[in-house]
Amino acid sequence: MSSKTEQREPEHVQTLGHEEYDPIGTAILIGIYFLILVLLWIFMYFVEFLGNGPTVVGMALTVVGLA
Amino acid sequence: MATSPPTEVTAMRNAYVDQFPDEARVIKAAFWSSFIALAIGGTLGLVQALHRTDVFRFIQSPDYYTVLTAHGVLLAITFTIFFLVGTFTWAVTTSLDRGVVDVRFTWAWYIMMVIGTVLVAIAIFSGFLESAPSVLGSELNADVLFTFYAPLEAHPIFYIGLVLFVVGSWLAGVDWFRTWLAWRSENPDERIPLPTFMVLTTTLFWYICTFGVALSILVFLLPWSLGITESVNPLLTRTLFWYFGHAVVYFWLMPAYMMWYIMLPKFSGGKLFSDPLARVVFVLFLLLSTPLGIHHQYLDPGIAEGYKFIAMTNTMFLLLPSLLTAFTVVASMEHGARQRGGEGYLGWLKALPWRNPIFTGMALAGLMFAAAGFSGMINAGMNINYLVHNTWWVVGHFHLTVGTAVALTFMAASYWFIPQLTGKELWNRSVALGQVLLWFIGMTFMSNAMHRSGLFGMPRRTAEPQYQGFDFEPAVGTVGEINMQVALGGVILTLSLALFLLNMIMTSIGDDSESIPDNTYAGTLSGAEDSPRILDNLKLWTAIAVVLVIIAYTLPLASIIDAGGLFGPGIEGVRLSTWVDPAVIESLGEVIR
Amino acid sequence: MRISKGALLVVVALLVPFVVEFRTALSWFGIKLTILESLALAGVLVIGLLLWAVWPENGNGGTGTADSS
Ligand code: HEM
Ligand SMILES: [Cu+2]
Repeated sequence: MSSKTEQREPEHVQTLGHEEYDPIGTAILIGIYFLILVLLWIFMYFVEFLGNGPTVVGMALTVVGLA
Repeated sequence: MATSPPTEVTAMRNAYVDQFPDEARVIKAAFWSSFIALAIGGTLGLVQALHRTDVFRFIQSPDYYTVLTAHGVLLAITFTIFFLVGTFTWAVTTSLDRGVVDVRFTWAWYIMMVIGTVLVAIAIFSGFLESAPSVLGSELNADVLFTFYAPLEAHPIFYIGLVLFVVGSWLAGVDWFRTWLAWRSENPDERIPLPTFMVLTTTLFWYICTFGVALSILVFLLPWSLGITESVNPLLTRTLFWYFGHAVVYFWLMPAYMMWYIMLPKFSGGKLFSDPLARVVFVLFLLLSTPLGIHHQYLDPGIAEGYKFIAMTNTMFLLLPSLLTAFTVVASMEHGARQRGGEGYLGWLKALPWRNPIFTGMALAGLMFAAAGFSGMINAGMNINYLVHNTWWVVGHFHLTVGTAVALTFMAASYWFIPQLTGKELWNRSVALGQVLLWFIGMTFMSNAMHRSGLFGMPRRTAEPQYQGFDFEPAVGTVGEINMQVALGGVILTLSLALFLLNMIMTSIGDDSESIPDNTYAGTLSGAEDSPRILDNLKLWTAIAVVLVIIAYTLPLASIIDAGGLFGPGIEGVRLSTWVDPAVIESLGEVIR
Repeated sequence: MRISKGALLVVVALLVPFVVEFRTALSWFGIKLTILESLALAGVLVIGLLLWAVWPENGNGGTGTADSS
């Protein structure tokens, strides 16, 4: 692109083009995020549908539907 | 690599103020307008946090709603939108490499927005007076909260101010389009540069969504408050507000997204992962920002479940561009980290420039936005929404989104913008780093406690949520502990805000510096040449967006008007059924239900 | 130093939500920490983190990432 996007980075040690770069770390982070979302959703299911009341009150066991 | 250390005096400084001195002045004015709103609004936030939790009460509880209106309007509308118009003007001129067509026009819309804001502020702050003066035949006040729908009624000056402010923002959009058209006639075959593309798509959905609120103010609320019409249909003004109210959320967010796409990769030391993906995201926001406002009205009686279900479906679709953004932005950061020598599956995180307040502020803002993604999914689900609707959970949620993802990104970006616009070096980078970290910590405390309060039913918008003969039952800890956490968070946030303003003031009164970096934004790994040309067809996307809005809103609006009248029940003469057979609406409604 | 000072500061900040939520999460299992206990936990975590950060890496002890820019 134009000179508007030219970079000068003092800590730049290597240049990675589109071909050499594989965002594996990003995939891991997003995977972790999804995992957290799924766990929270499962937790929400217990709170909302198996709990005794419409809000989170009472013992932990009643909230997760174990008692 | 060939670089000159930042401290070395280069022959020619090439900051924004050197390239576009006239535009820099307007943008600087817009930023300062936004900082003033942030200063006042943030301080009022602390007042609220201390008052509600009964830690420190020095105002009368009825005045709480004046404070709350000012906090909501100044922060959610004034602070965000003034910062947006500044950022967008910077983005258009920088990426098109040309000034605006006529800077007097730029000043004109800016001044119009300022006048609007001043009128709104006068109306709101008069609420604190012992006996408010009577202007235009009614008492001056506007305790209507930032959502300003009926049955709450404000003084006409409040609505007039809002109209001026919004029209000013429309003219700002005209300015950006004009500048782009002028550029296009000189560069007929080039792709729209990405930052300008983001500005134009955002402006287009702003036009679509503000149409609803303009209608609501000009046809219903303003005539009503002037006494021209006798009443309004409250559900109609609510629905028109939320027609605008969800899209405005994305309007705040788009400049932050723009910063994450075009600045964060650069500060990470890399390039934007994909230009086409970024364009797709902004097109999706243009298409989907408006036809889902009803998801704020899941609990409104008078709107059939079917319409709410449609709004929910659209909302879930809108998760897509946000997830795409998460991927693209993190991948760009990883690219930067690896170019800086970062290695390993996650070890590259260490190579990011955490010492840089601009980078760290934006990264933490993005992290908080990811957390808000979860509470947002709870809000979006029709059934689970009933659990948290109108509780403090929602307030906790949007202090993560607009209160952090947007506000913290803006503050971090200011550490880049103000030196660019003034030619003066940032006063203190360490204070700036401390400031963004403190905002993150303060918001963790406040927002976490708000979410948890919501789960045990603590209402929002309540001066004294302490009731006789009733105790909230938190699942964990005590109400007292949770209140302390809110108060502590509020204090830390206010401290952070003060440090931010101090840095801005000290920078502005500092000396000129020759070592301001050039005004550039991030390059792309996969550039515009890889994105299909159809993405730049703004007319097509706008047409589809309008069609989607018509599909989503015609039936709900028709049935609201049919049931409650245009100007309220019993006010005959404009019943919709005079031109649409009620049986048609009935049966269509049945289908939906 | 194993990580830069800036990164260390950020990790300390990130501990805050972790400790706050950890206290909530533990209580679902019937373990209720008091505020003081959570503060102590936070203190231990921060000290552990600091020790880890300044501990020389295997082999080339002491030549950490320079804190730059
Ligand atoms: C110093 C930092 C802040 C503090 C201490 C703070 C505190 C609060 C509190 C306690 C409330 C709840 C009032 C209630 O429900 O009764 C609130 C509401 C709100 N805050 Fe903040 N806030 C801060 C910053 C922000 C920022 C930066 C934004 C947006 C950019 C924001 C936007 C809002 C909005 C839109 C409301 C809802 C107003 C309403 O219900 O009408 N706040 N704030
Ligand atoms: Cu919404």
